[in-house]
Amino acid sequence: MLVAGMATGSGCRDRGDSAAGTDTDTGTGGPGGAYDAGLTEGDSETETDGEPGDACMASRAPRQLRLLTRHEYDATVHDLFALVDPDSCSDDAQCPAGATCEGATCQIETVLPTSFEIPGQGGWNSVHLAGSFNDWPGTVAEGGWALDYDAGAGTWTGSFEIPAGQHLYKLVIDESDWVPDPSNPQTADDGFGGSNSVLDVEGQTQVVPPRSLTFTEDLPAEVRPTGYPFDNNAATGLVTPVHAEQYMRAAQAVAAFAVAESDAWLPCAPEGDGSVCAQQVATQLGRRAFRRPLDDDEVSKYADLVTGEASFDDGLRVALQAMLASPYFVYRFEVGEPQGDHFVLTGYELAAALSYGLWGTTPDDALLDAAEAGELSSAEGVQAQVQRLLEDPRAREQVGTFAVQWLEVEKVATIDKNAAMFPSFDAALRRSVLEETRRLAAHATFAGPGGFDTLLQADYTFVDAALAGLYEIDPPDTDWAQVAAPPGRAGILGHASVLAANAYPDQTSPVRRGLFVRRALLCQELPDPPPDAGGVPDVDPNASTRERFEQHMNDPYCASCHQFIDPVGFGFEHFDPVGAWRDEDAGHSIDATGQMRGLESLSDDVQDFSTIPELASIVAGSESAPACFATHYFRYTHGRLETSDDECALENLARRFSEAEHDVVALIVSTLTAPEFMVRR
Amino acid sequence: MRLPACSRRRFFSTVAGAGLALPFFELLQPGRARAANGLAERLIVFYFPNGVAGTSQDGQPSQWHCTGGGSNFELSSQLQPLAGFRDECLFLNGLSMGPTDNGNHPGGARKLLTAADHGNGESIDQMLARTAGADAPFRHLNLGAMVMHDNPSGDAFISYSGPGAPVAPQDDPVAAFEYLFGAGVPGGGGEPGEPDPRQVTVIDAVLDDMDRLRAQLGDLDKPKLDLHLESLREVEERIKNVSDLPATCKDPTLDTTGVVPGSYDPSTFPAVLRAQIDLTVLAMACGLSRVGVIQCAHHTSDIVITQFPGTEMYDPGFNITSHGASHYGSSHAGQNYDAHFQQGRYWADQFAYLLQSLADRPDPLGGGSMLDTSVVLFCTEVSDGNTHEHHNMPFLLAGRGGGAIEPGRLLGFDGDRHAGLLAAIAHAMGEPVGGFGDTGTAPLSGILS
Repeated sequence: MLVAGMATGSGCRDRGDSAAGTDTDTGTGGPGGAYDAGLTEGDSETETDGEPGDACMASRAPRQLRLLTRHEYDATVHDLFALVDPDSCSDDAQCPAGATCEGATCQIETVLPTSFEIPGQGGWNSVHLAGSFNDWPGTVAEGGWALDYDAGAGTWTGSFEIPAGQHLYKLVIDESDWVPDPSNPQTADDGFGGSNSVLDVEGQTQVVPPRSLTFTEDLPAEVRPTGYPFDNNAATGLVTPVHAEQYMRAAQAVAAFAVAESDAWLPCAPEGDGSVCAQQVATQLGRRAFRRPLDDDEVSKYADLVTGEASFDDGLRVALQAMLASPYFVYRFEVGEPQGDHFVLTGYELAAALSYGLWGTTPDDALLDAAEAGELSSAEGVQAQVQRLLEDPRAREQVGTFAVQWLEVEKVATIDKNAAMFPSFDAALRRSVLEETRRLAAHATFAGPGGFDTLLQADYTFVDAALAGLYEIDPPDTDWAQVAAPPGRAGILGHASVLAANAYPDQTSPVRRGLFVRRALLCQELPDPPPDAGGVPDVDPNASTRERFEQHMNDPYCASCHQFIDPVGFGFEHFDPVGAWRDEDAGHSIDATGQMRGLESLSDDVQDFSTIPELASIVAGSESAPACFATHYFRYTHGRLETSDDECALENLARRFSEAEHDVVALIVSTLTAPEFMVRR
Repeated sequence: MRLPACSRRRFFSTVAGAGLALPFFELLQPGRARAANGLAERLIVFYFPNGVAGTSQDGQPSQWHCTGGGSNFELSSQLQPLAGFRDECLFLNGLSMGPTDNGNHPGGARKLLTAADHGNGESIDQMLARTAGADAPFRHLNLGAMVMHDNPSGDAFISYSGPGAPVAPQDDPVAAFEYLFGAGVPGGGGEPGEPDPRQVTVIDAVLDDMDRLRAQLGDLDKPKLDLHLESLREVEERIKNVSDLPATCKDPTLDTTGVVPGSYDPSTFPAVLRAQIDLTVLAMACGLSRVGVIQCAHHTSDIVITQFPGTEMYDPGFNITSHGASHYGSSHAGQNYDAHFQQGRYWADQFAYLLQSLADRPDPLGGGSMLDTSVVLFCTEVSDGNTHEHHNMPFLLAGRGGGAIEPGRLLGFDGDRHAGLLAAIAHAMGEPVGGFGDTGTAPLSGILS
């Protein structure tokens, strides 16, 4: 189905249409082992063709090995050896980059920008600062810091980041007259019969948390295929030579830590030749590390490694390094056992899938015990474990991780924002910006009513002092607090994470913000712009951002696609490139009215909105948004992009999600207990 | 008591500063020199993002492509920084990457080194690392400058270990130096110059698990496990075949002034790129590797080029990103165009620095300077940054490839596939493939001497 009004034939259509017509090969559709009867009961109401309960057996989840992500690797070794991130430091190396260890805390020296406000005098064309901080340049072209004239106040003003310490400077008028700053009484003889102004800049010491114990920082980044925003794609999780080397090193480093603190996890004390304890370590630790019991040969192998060195500790280091560099550790298995014409995950494999899916880490003993006892071969048994895992705080963290990956906002930690325009948007604030989204996602999922709808529309959010500063609201009394959503904001669409991730370093981007709504929230793909599309319109002091981007709408060729994008993005114009509220766009008044055209399928219907909460309400009221969210959760847990074979499974998930009134926990449960989660082809 | 969380950073500075004689791997030996047989010792790929100032939408001529033919040609204005290497470069006009995805960046990046539509194949660098480069301690170097600054999707990477399997580069030169020259985490317990017995035990145990796993799974996920096994074999070789670094690189040091590990501040970009170039040359001069990729940012990168200090486009009062500049409009004019033109010159200037570094060092295996014995590819994923064409692609080769290539010429092609260029590079490296890429294109005539 092509979209109405697409006379230009630009191919703007939604993703759903592309799969239509390439219908599934329904295959043989045999039952998925012991689960089917219980787990697909709800499917009897499905309108999908085919036999109830069998419909989704067309899903062709592949048998595969899934490489642990860096995050999963670190979480796993923390769990195996009860490693605790340090809360104090004894060495600079334990502190984040740029920080030093002073006393027992990591500290970063920062300076706030220094502001200048010089009373103006008639006839000046330019004023710039020249001093010890910028090497006394005679002109702006040579690096002088230009002040701007504020005609209303009659002053020359500017704000600059100047390092802590004492500085000397002068004002340079019209790049010829060097004079001391009349607004600064502190002066010193300049040695030429005149005087320099003296400026003392005080540094601010900020305490930051020590680095967490990470062992994976030198592993290559995970490869996220186009359109797959998560870090756990199974197909691209490959062990290159760099990985192999870094796994050896990471394993060696973990082993060193683990042996130094073996009190925390070693199940026994070595006696005699240590062989009894070695057997116990191989058996117990091996089961958790490999997420299955080791067979006798494996136990002997690892026990022999422990006893094969001069001391028990040396042997333990060797055995642990070997175990953690083993393919049985770095992959988790979705291989299954044959059952008829398909395969069903073993209880242990399912335990790992549930644990990494819900906690991002290795199964605990209770989950492995349940697998060993065969409890995971029944629907009730799986349900019970899913419920138990969901009650753990790690499930909340994992939902936060899912959210920031789904929304593709993690990049906010590193993307460039113009430091002169947004001096407060530093590393700490960037962390807070991401934390807000994690917290709201966890809260909407587990605590708040409304689930997914709340995620989109919440009239509350979470802030710390830094974020409260960005949002211009009162700082909370505690570290983090739940507060009413700042004016003009609702849910994730009002989060600085989303707003900053979808903007340029120095200007907003109605296109990126509009595309974000289309792609991340509605799963609608728009074609790439044609080769000869222009770029971002230049910053033009005579036009607002909206006016500059509106050229897309005046050209019918551009408008065929941009009619779905820009009018959505214009609705965000009150939020600057780092997500702070703005009343003006570089001196221009802001028109933040927007238009959602073709909400469900890029058709011709139009809904107007004038605030972000209104847009959030339109999106939340759609069928596409919750279905899209369910699709993303499916991708995340399956480690792959869906194919046309998965259509039925996705329809079922969306239908159940809607029946559960968009309760996210219900979506999690139905995804992890669906037959396609356990059956492989 | 806790150990320092990050002892390896300190280890780096210790090694670099004190210049310890490290136990090392079996290095490339002079006896194996290929240059004697007219073959290249090594391949370096230098990639830059977002195309060049090519033929504009309104028909203004390319400022990147040279004019003339044979040895009688005029160096283009964007390539002026290469004036000193005019006779060491083979300039190529008229090559095409084919019609698929013509007009966009990711499609171009996927095809660039794979010559396969949608990145559905192994890239030339990985293929050569696996074959011609397999005798080196590190078969493949993949270093980046701020590639990960915005957490891009995999289509931003240009090196493919297999179909649909791009590989992320290492953006941190400090970590990369440690990877190449550090001898693992301290405390292994081996004698200098001898294999560390504990690491031998560990790698044997890991390989034993790998054997079990492969036996258990048969053909399931076989490409994944094949790659994993090859990777472990490379590590095994380094652990078991230890030798000292050659005298020419006893005290390997890397100048990382201005590099802030973990930072993506664009004002440090030039320092990072310089360090990655230095490291690539250093590693190859020490015989550690034959194949390397240096990737500058990535296609559509939002890195702010006007904040690169010490460059022509530096302008603290003007903010333009690499991608933003490349969309300069229909005509070669305006502030964005100037920045785009200048970024092209900057990449050429950095490439010239790489060539100079190679020219300054004698090849440790003989055969002249390292530039004489190398093949160096200069490339980007689209032609003109604004039109995004995949035709008349800006490619050039540098170095004599040990005699395999005769530089100092301009070759004109008529839409021939760049797969033929990649196939010719394979021949220069001593891998006489019949063809390369999904079209199986044979080596282009005129490239090989």
